[in-house]
Amino acid sequence: MFRTLKPFEYLEPKSLEEATGALSKCGTEAKVYAAGVDLVPRMRKRIIAPKCIVNLQRIDEMDDVIASNKDGARIGALASLRSIELSALIKERYFVLHEAIASIASIQVKTQGTAVGNLCVATPASDVAPALFVLDAKIKAVGPSGERLIPIDEFYLGVGKTVLGPNEIITEILLPKAPANTGGGFAKLVRTVSDIAKVNAAAELTMEKGVCKEVRIAVGSVAPTVLRMKKAEDVLRGNKIDQNLIEKAASAAADAVKPITDIRSTAEYRKDTTKVLVKRVLEKALERTKA
Amino acid sequence: MKKEILNFKVNGTPYEIEVEPQMTLNEVLREQLNLTGTKISCAEGECGACTVLVDGKPELSCSMLALAARDKDITTIEGLAKDGELHKIQKGFIEKGAIQCGFCSPGMMLMIKALLDENPNPTKEEITAYIAGNLCRCTGYVKIIDAAKAAAEA
Repeated sequence: MFRTLKPFEYLEPKSLEEATGALSKCGTEAKVYAAGVDLVPRMRKRIIAPKCIVNLQRIDEMDDVIASNKDGARIGALASLRSIELSALIKERYFVLHEAIASIASIQVKTQGTAVGNLCVATPASDVAPALFVLDAKIKAVGPSGERLIPIDEFYLGVGKTVLGPNEIITEILLPKAPANTGGGFAKLVRTVSDIAKVNAAAELTMEKGVCKEVRIAVGSVAPTVLRMKKAEDVLRGNKIDQNLIEKAASAAADAVKPITDIRSTAEYRKDTTKVLVKRVLEKALERTKA
Repeated sequence: MKKEILNFKVNGTPYEIEVEPQMTLNEVLREQLNLTGTKISCAEGECGACTVLVDGKPELSCSMLALAARDKDITTIEGLAKDGELHKIQKGFIEKGAIQCGFCSPGMMLMIKALLDENPNPTKEEITAYIAGNLCRCTGYVKIIDAAKAAAEA
């Protein structure tokens, strides 16, 4: 049965300094609020009961801007999933991220929820994270002692756990410029379109004269965190790509995952379908390097 | 806990009210403003029954703190009809028999309003994709999609 939320102290800082100060004071009793799509239902179900909520929406230095810059592009931490999905810049240059967000069904969740919020929930079933893994994204976090850049594949520690300190706030996602002849692809398996993934996968591939110059592959829902598939990448990197090699890389990916059995799927099925999904995303990415 | 002042607009009317910080937008609309057209069902963002438009965009009132709506313009189902005349989407729902128990209808109609504002002539596939986050347990969706088409053509 749904209930009301437990009372908490509500703070609406106007600056990052004020916000990180508030978080330092409240420590682990505080939660940041960016949109509420994940936080509010978890508070209602008493999974968490923060004593203090710090709303990030009115901080002067925070924004929802998606724009190119000299190194590639940046996504402001308050940018909604929907605005990223609809961004012409993302569609054109970082298609894998567009494709991943497009696979999330609920328009309301995407309109309200942010990509950064999705990352901070730290679910291994995130559709956003594998896309950002293969785009080699970095996360900018600001704390009381200044800012730092965290490579996305060093961001997760486990289910619901990240390297972010209790008084750090993510302000933006940075995407490096993709070289020429680069293509990406995302795919997932679900029970119904609105459910979270049983398994998902993303790949980003750069080709030069039929040879794989660079490749990144990531798989979700098969371990406590999203995983980079480095062994599968090694199968491809520096080699001429053909169907046989794609199959080999997909098998290497399936060997590297450590899935569990739960209500959505069995471990065995997840392992088998990792191979299928990695093969599909590599095929898609390869096709798109030609565009 | 200390009450906070919330200034926002609902269906074009400006409000300045006192709210407790733990109140969701859904609770404030239903219990403080008596706008009970906005429903709540799953209370976790799966069903879309609590959908309202925030500055014209569809969001989940069950999963939003009321204080996050400060300075925003909220549209609820009560805001669709103007001067006693039903909105074309409401007329479409009646004409096509798209309402059975009615519980999902406010959220569905607001989603269709957001869709038509963005895309005045959607295809069946575009309508289906847009209402993917709204559950209806009565109609099987066909009549709702027909109603959206009828509203687009009206």
